[in-house]
Amino acid sequence: MKKKSAPGAVTSPLIRKPIQRRFALFLLPTFLCFCAGFLWPFIQGIYLSVHSFTTTSNATWVGFVNYTKAFNDAGFRQAFGYTALVAVVSLVLINVLAFAVAYALTRGIKGSNLFRGVFFVPNLIGGIVLGYIWKTIIDSALPVSMSIQANYGFWGLIVVMCWQQVGYMMIIYIAGLQAVPEDMLEAARIDGANGWRTLWHITLPNVMPSITICTFLSLTNGFKLYDQNLVLTNGAPVRRGIGQTEMLALNIAKTFSTANQRGVAQAKAVLFFLLVTAISLIQLSATRSKEVQQ
Amino acid sequence: MKKLFALMLALAMVLTMVSLASAEETGKVYYLNFKPEADQAWQALAAQYTQQTGVEVKVLTAASGTYKQTLTSELDKGAAAPTLFQIGNAEGVVTWKDYTLPLDGTELLAEMTTEDFNLKNADGATVAAGYCYEAYGIITNKALLAKAGYSVADIKDFASLKAVADDIHARAAELGFDAFTSAGLDGSSSWRFSGHLTNMPLFYEFRDDGITEQPATVKGSYLDAYKNIWDLYITDSAADVKKLSGYTGADAEKDFYDGKAVFFQNGTWEYESLIGYGMNPDDLAMLPIYCGVEGEENAALCAGTENCWAVNAKASEADQKATLDFLKWVVTSDEGTQMMAKEFGPIPFKAAKASTNVFFNDSTALLSEGKYVVTWAFNFTPDSDNWRAGIVSALEQYSAGAADWGEIEYAFVEGWATCYANTH
Amino acid sequence: METSLKKASARPQEKQTTGKIVLTAVFAVISLIWMLPIAIVLMNSFKENGFVNSEVFALPNAQSYVGMSNYINGMTFGNYPFYLSAGYSVYITIVSTGLILLCTSMAAWYISRVDDLFSKAVYYLCVFSMVVPFQMVMFTLANTARELRLDTPWSIPVVYLGFGAGLAVFMFVGFVKSIPIDIEEAASIDGCGPVRTFFSVVFPMMKPTLISVGVLEIMWVWNDYLLPYLVLDQTKYKTIPIHIQYLQGSYGRVDLGATMALIILSLLPIIIFYLSCQKHIIKGVAAGAVKG
Repeated sequence: MKKKSAPGAVTSPLIRKPIQRRFALFLLPTFLCFCAGFLWPFIQGIYLSVHSFTTTSNATWVGFVNYTKAFNDAGFRQAFGYTALVAVVSLVLINVLAFAVAYALTRGIKGSNLFRGVFFVPNLIGGIVLGYIWKTIIDSALPVSMSIQANYGFWGLIVVMCWQQVGYMMIIYIAGLQAVPEDMLEAARIDGANGWRTLWHITLPNVMPSITICTFLSLTNGFKLYDQNLVLTNGAPVRRGIGQTEMLALNIAKTFSTANQRGVAQAKAVLFFLLVTAISLIQLSATRSKEVQQ
Repeated sequence: MKKLFALMLALAMVLTMVSLASAEETGKVYYLNFKPEADQAWQALAAQYTQQTGVEVKVLTAASGTYKQTLTSELDKGAAAPTLFQIGNAEGVVTWKDYTLPLDGTELLAEMTTEDFNLKNADGATVAAGYCYEAYGIITNKALLAKAGYSVADIKDFASLKAVADDIHARAAELGFDAFTSAGLDGSSSWRFSGHLTNMPLFYEFRDDGITEQPATVKGSYLDAYKNIWDLYITDSAADVKKLSGYTGADAEKDFYDGKAVFFQNGTWEYESLIGYGMNPDDLAMLPIYCGVEGEENAALCAGTENCWAVNAKASEADQKATLDFLKWVVTSDEGTQMMAKEFGPIPFKAAKASTNVFFNDSTALLSEGKYVVTWAFNFTPDSDNWRAGIVSALEQYSAGAADWGEIEYAFVEGWATCYANTH
Repeated sequence: METSLKKASARPQEKQTTGKIVLTAVFAVISLIWMLPIAIVLMNSFKENGFVNSEVFALPNAQSYVGMSNYINGMTFGNYPFYLSAGYSVYITIVSTGLILLCTSMAAWYISRVDDLFSKAVYYLCVFSMVVPFQMVMFTLANTARELRLDTPWSIPVVYLGFGAGLAVFMFVGFVKSIPIDIEEAASIDGCGPVRTFFSVVFPMMKPTLISVGVLEIMWVWNDYLLPYLVLDQTKYKTIPIHIQYLQGSYGRVDLGATMALIILSLLPIIIFYLSCQKHIIKGVAAGAVKG
């Protein structure tokens, strides 16, 4: 990604100038929409996080009070811990399951394609609809509803996340597994390495790029989760005023809905953004360093 | 492929232009309605008005429990914001102070028979007109009660209510019905307990302490009474206490009109539905909510309103005028008053039509006996959606045995303080 | 040496055949379980409202079976017809995806070939936008969208283009960098302007990436809840996820039977889409991930 290609390979003066003259046609529409849909709201978001406001037009500067309030909000801190827990547990389970399924389905068994198709289906369903389906099922199957027992809510959420994401990650793992050089596997077989040793020493290092991507995706998915959390428990049960199953995104959205807490909500959102960015960077650089250099 | 994309882009752009160009010049009305039950009636009435006058009237109804959230986002919409919305209580007046047009001197106010239900802002201007009042209590099926060998005259206080209910519950299998309908904690039902039932402890506490405006904290001195009545609701009922969040408002209503339960805590607004489901008006009565407070045998129904119209001060003058004209038409025209009488009972306006609602008659009868009105103390609740959400979750856990009563005390007392702090 | 080789290759071979049959059987069972939630919803969509809550796992019987009435009720349930929500969902998904594909592929080509400071800045901003969680901009984006009158289904694709540009630009730039520039130079020498070069030479070559990006965007837009919920004028416009969420707990008369029917209806288009281009979708996901 960072590889610097020789300038001539990517562009040439011959075609560069004419394209540049068509800036208004090629880049401008996307750039303007990008400004309206991302850049401006993003900058305004940072600006508003140090203001008190109910609507954007009546903001008054309050400094870092919003941030202090966000840090002092026990509900926000609880949401942070809970989100981290959900993200990590789901990360492990989703990836182990997805890898296992992908591994089994690349053994050349009958019906692989059909099974692969089936596993992927939940991914097509959006979080809201998916949550609704599972809420109906889980609450009927359990002795008490998820909104009463935080444990049930937690595992319910994990089940839903696995059901949804295993198929997606499986696709990526399958692509990775299919790219493992056949001659390396052959060589291992000739050397008499058993299945586990081959898996550990040949296959895993070779699918490291897939692992990087999948862990990255499932971790950020976990941290950003909103729809499923909203539908399954909406943060309940509340204990001592704190939603036991409330994740960060939901906590922030709820804070926005209290009219004069919006500045605090925006400060929480900035913190949330910093957190997600930091995690993405750390996680990417940590796993990338383990990848096979080619 | 390329042509298709070009076409799509062109289409999208043309449509965008069209939507940009359709700005209105004449006044229009946009009502953000609070009562889901009355949604269809409002839509029909709005259509009639538009047909008669050509003025555009849009009615949107927020889903139960999301009014404030919907209003918050809708009011942000500038020219597309509601011109008419609802304020329920003193807290609303504070929250929306920038958005409420003073109504003093308007024709609408001149049509009112009482100012009792109106809300005033800090400057003393009337900013919200209470367009109806309501009463709630324990709706009772007299026919079933008679079958069990009792009459409404047997129920005078909490002890007698409990005796009757316990007896019916004990004989439920034999009688074929239970005492109470499900105390559902689904969003479509939970407000009956987090909003209306919490009024009991709040009302008595405020009465004792002489509180007449929103307090920063509450003590929960009458929470024992709240526990009495809640325990009764969930014990003497067929509903599974471990799954109360699964029971909807419709479930409780169905228990009642199917003759599966004698008692159903709800309000005057429920009358039309129950009759619609084929219940006989002669079988229906509404009792005060008794919960074990001294002197409660002299209590009448809980009466008040959380239905006050406010006109958006930030709407254009044409829209404000159109909105006030529409409201005047609603409370003076034949169509309007008929609809109001049907949906909201006896409205406090000169041209009001008489109501056939027996629950209002019960309310009036109790008052004529000299009993005291249990006013709507819950109107003082700060950040009421969040406060109520805390109570609901606590009730859910307590009922399922997953938490003790302390959780409800916390949600009630500490929750109030937090919600007050968050909104002041 | 020879024997060991034989042994090594023969043993796993033998083991695999029985193992493979077992695996197939195991996966057949797991696949059935995997589809169970959808089957349960389908089953309940034919049951009367009251039975959905009390007996979720029971098959419809003579007492609870209501035929298609849930589907018919569901269409008009509440005060907003479902077919309208479905229509808006389809429209928004198609137009947004089309707009994103067209505009970002052009932008990506410009960025890679011009490669000046401004293009680089735009590119890195796009990459950056991919990690920003939606909550960061949810309040301000909703406001901006309203101010710019982007709160209708006709104009919301512009918001999708803006917020979704990141991933698309990133993937297209990655692809354009892999195309040898000679072809474009040749076209240019032949007298083609940039517009013709792009549409007749570059754009057709982008087909695999167009499909990948298209698939990812379709899945995102179709299932998106929060963005349209915040941006659209909900008195007039709803999409399927908003509609489904609106049904939950609203109106005091929750009709679970009808809700189940609507869930099935909302799944139909996406399942059809999946069945008709499963290969592309799976390739698209794999490609998108590798690039991402």
